[in-house]
Amino acid sequence: MTELLRTEAMSVVYGGLHAVNGLDLRVDEGRLVGLIGPNGAGKTSFIDGISGFTRTQGAIHFRGRRVDREPAHRRARLGLGRTWQSLELFEDLTVRENLQVGAERQTVGGFLLDLVRPGRQRDQTDVDWALDVLGIAHLADRLPTEISHGQRKLVGAGRTLAARPALICMDEPAAGLDTTESEQFGRRLRRIVDAGVSILLVDHDMGLVMGVCDEVYVIEFGTRIAHGTPAQVVADEKVRAAYLGTKAAS
Amino acid sequence: MTRPRTPSARLRTGVPALVVVALLAVILAKGDYRANFFSGGGFALGALVAAIALGVVVTYRGSGVVNLAGAAVAMYAAYVYADLRAHGDLFLPPLPNPLAPIEGLVHLAGDDSFAVPHWPTSVSFGTAMGFWPALVLALVFCALFGLVLHVAVFRPLRHAPVLAKVVASVGVLLFLQAVVVRRFSTTTQVVGPLPFVDKTQVDLGLFKITQEQLFVVCLVLVLAVALWALFGRSRFGLAVRAAAENEKGATVLGFSADRLAAATWVLSTVVTGLLGIFVASVNSAVDPNTMPALIVPAVTAALVGGFTSFGWTTLAAFGLGMQVSLVTFLGANESWFPKAGGLPVPGVDLLVPLVVIVAVLALRGQSLPTRGVLGPGRLPFSPSARPWALRYGGPGLAVVALIPGVFFLSPAMRDGLTNTLTGIVICLSIVVLTGFIGQISLAQTSFAGLSAYTVASLSTHHGWPFPLPILAGAAVAVVAGVLVALPALRVRGVHLAIATLAFAVAVDKVVFANSWINGGFDGATVTTPDLLRSQDTATHEFLGVTIGDGTQPNPLTLVFCLVVVVALGYLVANLRRSLTGRQMLAIRSNERAAAAAGVNVAAVKVLAFGVSAFIAGVGGAVIAYRTGNVTPDKFLYDKSLMFFAFAYLGGIASVTGAVTGGLLVGGGLGFTVLNQVFGLPDEFVLLLGGLGLVVTAVLNPEGVAGKARTDLLALRRRLRPPAPADPPTSTDSATMADSSTPAEPLIPADTATPTTGPTPTVPSAAPTPNAAPTPNAAPTPVASGSAAGSHVSGSAGATPAVAGEAR
Ligand SMILES: Nc1ncnc2c1ncn2[C@@H]1O[C@H](COP(=O)(O)OP(=O)(O)OP(=O)(O)O)[C@@H](O)[C@H]1O
Ligand SMILES: [Mg+2]
Repeated sequence: MTELLRTEAMSVVYGGLHAVNGLDLRVDEGRLVGLIGPNGAGKTSFIDGISGFTRTQGAIHFRGRRVDREPAHRRARLGLGRTWQSLELFEDLTVRENLQVGAERQTVGGFLLDLVRPGRQRDQTDVDWALDVLGIAHLADRLPTEISHGQRKLVGAGRTLAARPALICMDEPAAGLDTTESEQFGRRLRRIVDAGVSILLVDHDMGLVMGVCDEVYVIEFGTRIAHGTPAQVVADEKVRAAYLGTKAAS
Repeated sequence: MTRPRTPSARLRTGVPALVVVALLAVILAKGDYRANFFSGGGFALGALVAAIALGVVVTYRGSGVVNLAGAAVAMYAAYVYADLRAHGDLFLPPLPNPLAPIEGLVHLAGDDSFAVPHWPTSVSFGTAMGFWPALVLALVFCALFGLVLHVAVFRPLRHAPVLAKVVASVGVLLFLQAVVVRRFSTTTQVVGPLPFVDKTQVDLGLFKITQEQLFVVCLVLVLAVALWALFGRSRFGLAVRAAAENEKGATVLGFSADRLAAATWVLSTVVTGLLGIFVASVNSAVDPNTMPALIVPAVTAALVGGFTSFGWTTLAAFGLGMQVSLVTFLGANESWFPKAGGLPVPGVDLLVPLVVIVAVLALRGQSLPTRGVLGPGRLPFSPSARPWALRYGGPGLAVVALIPGVFFLSPAMRDGLTNTLTGIVICLSIVVLTGFIGQISLAQTSFAGLSAYTVASLSTHHGWPFPLPILAGAAVAVVAGVLVALPALRVRGVHLAIATLAFAVAVDKVVFANSWINGGFDGATVTTPDLLRSQDTATHEFLGVTIGDGTQPNPLTLVFCLVVVVALGYLVANLRRSLTGRQMLAIRSNERAAAAAGVNVAAVKVLAFGVSAFIAGVGGAVIAYRTGNVTPDKFLYDKSLMFFAFAYLGGIASVTGAVTGGLLVGGGLGFTVLNQVFGLPDEFVLLLGGLGLVVTAVLNPEGVAGKARTDLLALRRRLRPPAPADPPTSTDSATMADSSTPAEPLIPADTATPTTGPTPTVPSAAPTPNAAPTPNAAPTPVASGSAAGSHVSGSAGATPAVAGEAR
């Protein structure tokens, strides 16, 4: 299998806190990889780190090149997409426009042409594909404020997907979905993978993660405590301890 | 932080500290430098700046507002005190008399003798007042004013976007200044001396200082220590800090967050007012312009103190106040000092705060906000122009403005219309920068002015023919805009407002007040083609039609302005509809998410500054050609504030808003009508502008045009027959079931639009057909999901919603 993303001893440090502590993680092409861990384990920090939104130590390789010095937008253009735990949609743009921002790349000539002919036809296939895969085509002309929470989550994923990334890191995309919605969402994830986009899935919905992922990483306090197929991970003593531990603490 | 290569923390404090220490060493080493830096006047100015800065810090800590009107409060308090002492009158703001329109209408009907009762202008306490009663009364007034600011302006705005808060404080600044100008005109007012100290020199060894000056310096130092103790050592301070974290924090300590904020507002207006009064007394004079501009060094000092530290703020404020006399001395005596036309460049002392701001922001700012840092909040909605508006808007505006403008309007109205047109251009530049991409610039007329002077120089001294100088002027503006954009890459919100304000104030002095550039007393002449000169009183024949009636301004000027407005209007409307416009709005609503979507945030910001400065530059060039003579007063920083105010009033996020704003600007059509029909004096422009700005920010952040748009939409919705019911919130599962065919169970909405039928579907019916075959053949979701869940999901899996929404 071809390697897509690989981190080597990657750390994210806030002040004195090691939110991610020397993590090695690898995502291969065509795989759906889960990343789970208790609250505060460092999952979001890890995604922030690889996508360029927080400073990191260690190495990040993406598509065979080292990207840990690249600014965020350039990593996105290389095909490293991400979604946000807290949605962060562009509230002033319609759903379609949200996706267009993700899909389209501006050039100097394009900018000048825009000033004269802004409405000219642009290639919409990626946007339409993303709308379609996520089942939100009927919402294309709505504003994010006008749709339900679950739909907003899909728009957030769609915006990243429309850029046709090689890898999409999803930060708790299923939070707030009910069981049926989450099952349906799981099937959408598989379709996305089938279309050639790898996924790094962070979620607390164990049903979803264990159901759809090919392999799963479990982290706690920023370090990896288990890695394997869902079945292996579920059977792991350390994983059970970690989850029971947080249960006892909370 | 996108770039991991930020300077290390040690370097970030070490280098600036070294620079400051080195500068101080040079100053101390040279006798005449020392004498001029540690001068009495410098200390007094430093004390005032420090007091204003302390007030700014206090309100920031209490309510998160950077009060740009802080310095205006000092000026206002000094006026209140001076008037009480001189005449025993407490003057009141000249709020518009609600009966005035009746009077105007009656006058219009021909009865000039009719007059409605006058609005009270002051409360009289008899004759001239002694020091203490006047001081106490003036401070009580300050306290009340602080309370009003809190209750009427900033409390309603406490959850509003930063932009609304900046706008409101600019509104207060304009209002206070306008009230004073209206009551006392712009001339200097004499203020009596303090009774208990005088101008006797005190020798402090290193330097000499008068008793009065020593007194204000000591007073400020005492106040700074008191504030430090209050905020750092008392329960009150603890509660303020807790409230800043979250509103409940203060409640736990037994304080109401609202009362705390009110207390900090009162505290800051009283501290600022007190020093305003004393320093005016020491200087024996107060005027409406000098003190309000001190907001720039004051906010700079507050910035150095991180808007929290009273100690660093006070130190920086004294430094910024004291460098003024030193820089003046250097300009007069040192050969290396930059010269323009043989004279020292004016206003270098104003470059100092600008440099400090840029340095502090560059060192502390971040190219992308980190997680947890709140975004700018919702800004007014920015509608994309509808096709019919694009098709008919430009020609419509042209016809509506042109025919009356050229053939029917009186010279005064024609003048107003032309001012409106140039105003629209400046407002358009603000729409791009603030409306589209959410960056606050308070320096738009600086860009316009730079362009105007370029036009004057090229057209007159270098013989460039019309319209080439317009392009050159716009290019100069673009360069300035891009320069300003560079610090903007690392700062946002109110910090950017501060930086641009400092830039505007510096440009006013360094460029516009530079007699080498501004052409001295007569202004800089613009060589204008005859047809365009507004002073031209000739009539012109076109296709057998006579244009012009032998009066100024020349109607062809109006045509010229109109062409520019329509062209730029289309440019801005097109920008909004284009990919660049979408990227700008994306950045406006969420910089991090925009970067994650692959948008080069820095490049688009620079582009926006460039486009905005270009538009402002064209505006400046048009103003230059229209008047034939460039004078600084059209481009000073208060004009930037004024345009910002009216652009916001009109509607900051759309071309329609800019047109509305242009109708409202000072000297524009709106005020010309008010002036001609109702006899409203000119000073009311800023008064109403400031007041309107505050009211708009508080009640109607969408602006006039935005409000009209939402009202219209609501009306249309009411008139239209009820639309088919909206899809249920669980559209997903419903449509899934509707359209699910065994072949493609995962594409829901191809055929079934959600509105087709409210057929109740059982959601659980959806997943029955098995998922499309997947190569990795995971176990069926349902089964493995529940199986795994029973093992692992003990804590985390059981509460997915809570975990997800935690942040
Ligand atoms: N900007 C920041 N500054 C300081 N500490 C932070 C910051 N962001 C996160 N942290 C801390 O880092 C640790 C890891 O946080 P992170 O959000 O990455 O965890 P998570 O696994 O995503 O948790 P959750 O499941 O709640 O989303 C936490 O202790 C958190 O408090
Ligand atoms: Mg998280």
